[in-house]
Amino acid sequence: MDLIATFPSSQAALRAEQALKGAAMAVELIPVPRQIRGDCGFCLLLAEAGADGAIELRRCGAQELWRVTTTQTDPSSRKVKSYERYP
Amino acid sequence: MNDIRRTVDARGQACPMPVILTRKALAEGGFDLLEVLVDDASSQENVVRFAEYAKCVVAGVEAEGAVSRILIRPGVAAPAAPEARVFAAPAPIPAPAGPDTTVFISSSGIGTGDEQLAALLMRAFLYTLTEAEAAPARIIFMNGGVRLAVEGSEALVNLKRLAERGVEILACGTCLEFYQLKDALAVGRVSNMYEIAGLLLQGRTLSI
Repeated sequence: MDLIATFPSSQAALRAEQALKGAAMAVELIPVPRQIRGDCGFCLLLAEAGADGAIELRRCGAQELWRVTTTQTDPSSRKVKSYERYP
Repeated sequence: MNDIRRTVDARGQACPMPVILTRKALAEGGFDLLEVLVDDASSQENVVRFAEYAKCVVAGVEAEGAVSRILIRPGVAAPAAPEARVFAAPAPIPAPAGPDTTVFISSSGIGTGDEQLAALLMRAFLYTLTEAEAAPARIIFMNGGVRLAVEGSEALVNLKRLAERGVEILACGTCLEFYQLKDALAVGRVSNMYEIAGLLLQGRTLSI
């Protein structure tokens, strides 16, 4: 699953990114998707995360975790992403 | 039929001189075939690209050791010799979803203020472009912006995604050279001021 982790501040997201990259985790710093929160801000995307990934994100100060689901009705259409809270 | 030839010897000349000399010769005219001698690969690429941009026919490129002889027939109206071939565009570029929009990036971050925040905003912007419904036709990097397109750049993953979507990535060759990053360009291709200025003046440009 792909997980998105939100943080209380941009600095916190950046610190977590550095810590997780230091631990060889392939996180990506991206803007918070508008479906999750309207504010401007950064979050971390961890592709193909397992339960361990979720734990690591939390350990690094993640506020909320969201599971990303990507759907594409046919190859020519646009991918649509939806988000649900990850417990 | 004997062509009236003219030779421009641009060997040993640094960018952008080979292109300037070629342009000058084409503007003066009075020949059927222009041969331009250059001795480095990026000069060759730039002269060929300029000739195509100037609607000339590149009739061939002959290499003799380190020296390349670029044969150019001026003007669209000039009939091409049977053996002539028009160089194909560097790569087929699928039509982008958006209008003919150029994004011009002249710094490695967005705006002035804290440098770390500027860099973050730039990364986020480039990621957002990968998700945008209408991708730009091209992104041009100049000055500090070229740092985004070289090995080790955090933005590289998103630039590669954009390139896969058909967005053309162009980096200023003079700038890469200035920052000694010429061999480090990791996505897109090297361009020059003539091509860049031409692209900025055509269609819509967003300057970041």
